[in-house]
Amino acid sequence: MNQAVAKQRTGWRVVDIVTASVIAVASGVIFWAWSAGYGLFSLAFVAFPPASALLTGVWLFPAVLGALIIRKPGAALYCEMLAAVIEALLGSHYGLTVLISGFVQGLGAELVFAAVRYRKWNLSVSLLAGLFSGLFAGISEAYIMAYYVEYTPALKIFHVIATGISGLIVAGLLSWLATRGLAKTGALSALASRRAHLETGKLAAK
Amino acid sequence: MSSVVSADAKATTRRGTEITAKGFRWQHAERERPAISALDVQIPAGQKVLLVGPSGAGKSTLLHALAGLLEVDESEQISGQLLIDGSDAFAREHPVGLMQQDPETQVVQSRVAEDVAFGAENLAVDPQIIRQRIPEALEAVGLGMLPMDHRTQELSGGQKQRLALAGILAMQPGLMLLDEPTANVDPEGIRPLRDAVLNAAQLSGATLIVVEHRLDAWAEHMDRVIVLEPGGGVAHDLDPQRLYDDQELRTELSQAGLWVPNYQLELTAAQTTPQEQLLEAHDLISARTASSARTQKVNLKVRAGTATVIRGENGAGKSTLALTLGGLLEPVAGELQATESLANGLGNSPFSWKAGALIARIGSVFQEPEHQFVTQSVREELAFAPLRAKASGGQELKYDAQQVDARVDSLLARLGLQHLADANPFTLSGGEKRRLSVGTVLAAAPEVLILDEPTFGQDANTWRELASLLVEQLHLGTAIIAVTHDEHLVRVLNAQEIHLSALADQAPAKTRGPVLDAPVGDSWLAKTNPLAKLGAVAAATLPLITTLDWVSALVIIVATLLVFPLAGLSPARFFKRAWPLLIAGVVAAWGIALVGQDSGEVYAQLGIFSITEGSVQGGIATGLRAFALALPCILLLVSTNPSDLGGALSQQLRVPHRFVLGALAGMRLLGLMVEEFSTLGLARRARGVGNFGTFTQRIGAKLGQCLALLVQALRRAGRLAVTMEAKGFGIGPRTWMRTATFTVKDAAVLLVGLLLGALAVGAAMMAGTYNLVWG
Repeated sequence: MNQAVAKQRTGWRVVDIVTASVIAVASGVIFWAWSAGYGLFSLAFVAFPPASALLTGVWLFPAVLGALIIRKPGAALYCEMLAAVIEALLGSHYGLTVLISGFVQGLGAELVFAAVRYRKWNLSVSLLAGLFSGLFAGISEAYIMAYYVEYTPALKIFHVIATGISGLIVAGLLSWLATRGLAKTGALSALASRRAHLETGKLAAK
Repeated sequence: MSSVVSADAKATTRRGTEITAKGFRWQHAERERPAISALDVQIPAGQKVLLVGPSGAGKSTLLHALAGLLEVDESEQISGQLLIDGSDAFAREHPVGLMQQDPETQVVQSRVAEDVAFGAENLAVDPQIIRQRIPEALEAVGLGMLPMDHRTQELSGGQKQRLALAGILAMQPGLMLLDEPTANVDPEGIRPLRDAVLNAAQLSGATLIVVEHRLDAWAEHMDRVIVLEPGGGVAHDLDPQRLYDDQELRTELSQAGLWVPNYQLELTAAQTTPQEQLLEAHDLISARTASSARTQKVNLKVRAGTATVIRGENGAGKSTLALTLGGLLEPVAGELQATESLANGLGNSPFSWKAGALIARIGSVFQEPEHQFVTQSVREELAFAPLRAKASGGQELKYDAQQVDARVDSLLARLGLQHLADANPFTLSGGEKRRLSVGTVLAAAPEVLILDEPTFGQDANTWRELASLLVEQLHLGTAIIAVTHDEHLVRVLNAQEIHLSALADQAPAKTRGPVLDAPVGDSWLAKTNPLAKLGAVAAATLPLITTLDWVSALVIIVATLLVFPLAGLSPARFFKRAWPLLIAGVVAAWGIALVGQDSGEVYAQLGIFSITEGSVQGGIATGLRAFALALPCILLLVSTNPSDLGGALSQQLRVPHRFVLGALAGMRLLGLMVEEFSTLGLARRARGVGNFGTFTQRIGAKLGQCLALLVQALRRAGRLAVTMEAKGFGIGPRTWMRTATFTVKDAAVLLVGLLLGALAVGAAMMAGTYNLVWG
């Protein structure tokens, strides 16, 4: 039984795996609703396409949300990767490169949680994870995957900053708020984050 | 593991396991009182036990304990013994089958055969033996007619439960535990499910424990009834016949909320006096979306102070009709008109009313209470609608702040929820949630109240409270419309009935939204190893990342189009899948043309942007590349089932099976969640959360809808995890019923992918268009 207790802290239980998977799938649904229902947004960006980077955060929140809810090593990476797989399965115009993007984006958030040794799940860490996820996404898109090879250098930098900000707000802040909201409903009762709403954040909103 | 099939595999003498509890006690980590204490009971092998008791009596806890699923983290929570055939239940030495109430999470896999095999695979049973057990198990539960690769998502609730039972049977457990198996199953599905359970118990000889609060279907077929006491042990242990004969016992159980067999209603039917007309449907046809199934024509007049019940078979669109009558869906054809008396200054089509005006006139109570919770406390929840309800003309508020407070207080008292006023609505019990959800809608005092299966799955106590609440509303002059199967409710409401039948000439309802596990057919490519296809697509497309030129992209696009016949894809079907990608390619091209690096001739000047020869060429290359990256993926998608890909990943690439199967189980819920997301949108409009309003309000409403989706998703995840664990998932090494193979043909496919990637880059170099993007 000691073994079981030790395993529970670091290892993934079945409920952790299934919950992480379902979070990724629900994110897939939200992506889908987002792309289906937000034609207006895209229209706005036809005028200045690089600004669409400001919405990148929407694709990053599974990483931070998954980690905040599951609180296990690898959760950010797993949730973001699976969300990317689902995006690919639903038909993405990025093809298989979404898998690489998913990995990079998840990695950005994962590194932040690893840096605090998976012990802190407060607002600052969450914002930082969102920011890094966004920066990783932006850098890989602008310089490594080179989606924007035709951008001028200034536009590439704009792109990285925009994805970073978007990650900070959408993936970082909203995920943290969502985790607290979910904990209040009792929906996290089987998980390590079940008391998230009672923990104090440094910048506790509301 | 031996691959030899023993001829006597079928004939193995199987028998049930014996259960012994000696002073067993269990307390949840965060509770003050034990769920079970001083439990002493002995259940001989093969006995069929009906386990009952009031809510909170620890029935589910006991089943989870027997299935070895309770997490033990502090030893003082548990004492006494719980033994299965003499060994500790927590050690999980014997396979135990467990079925819970939510059909959606009792099924794990996306295809029928795989779902039946799932538990046996986890127990590392020889694949050949599993393949033999599958048809036997399906036959035993009355699903023998289903094709092996039938999509599990297309089964009805009752069929899903029977499928789960087949999966349990294939594990050959000595003990089968059923936790309210029929609670979420339509009445017509209950008997086949009950019979399947009894048949399964008979065939396997397994000990059977059924927890139910509707005793009719089960009592006469069981050997024994055990009544549990809240927080304690056994209150009664008796012969099922006493449920019929013993009046004292019947009264006691009935007061505890159980539906005893042949239950007689105590309520008298409502005295309805029809008053003015409020709504009229004329040849009304409803549908969830333009492309989904339609209902037959409905003609209906709704008068104040009367009840109308919508009945009909599954799939006839009863809920859809209710949503349309509730002003939540736009009529597809025909008319739905509110009279002047109801519209009160607004147009006569309820669908055109804003949320605040709608809730003050027509209230809709959804089947799942949680879909309609929009705040953090019971009090706020009740105040939400009256604070937003709009009176005549749809401009001024119906109530001022004081009136709202008064309404909330009186509703809290009427619903018996005063002590829970500050509790989070999601944390209430099932019956409390149901009462609250009706109360939240009544709070805005709508003249028409529409309810979808309000009594479904409710215990007898909640039923009585609901019925008396609804009768009271009728007497106050509210018009009630209910979708229900419940005969008792129809009688109590003294309702007129309309019957809806499914249209015969209709194609089966199409799943809305994205589907991940669409049938892949049996094309040449469909029979190729998924990893070989994945590798080929990766090898062909990923080199394109290194360059931005139209030659390499074009090579891949042309090659992919040539391969399409191998995937059995018609041009029409291809275009249907590819057009969003085409548009994305065009948008990407436009973006680059606008902001890309300028050179050569200037074609146009738009503000600070110039479109030049250079930027247009860049744009075309970007668009083509996007298309070339995406197109081969369509080939992969239309010819590959995610389950097969998962199986191959785990078997051949050694990706941990817990994560692969966990991911697949989650993915099976995608279609369901898409459906739930749109239902949530409607359910929240019915609470007064508007689709109209300022930009910020709309963003807020959408975020709330996303959060509500996550709540439901997490609850499902919890139940699904229990199902999977009960089926032995994650305990140790497993076998795979479908063994992944890698043949010469698969190797050839992979090779073609590699060659294509090289060809694309080579062609671009020859043409001189290759430009390394990192250069």
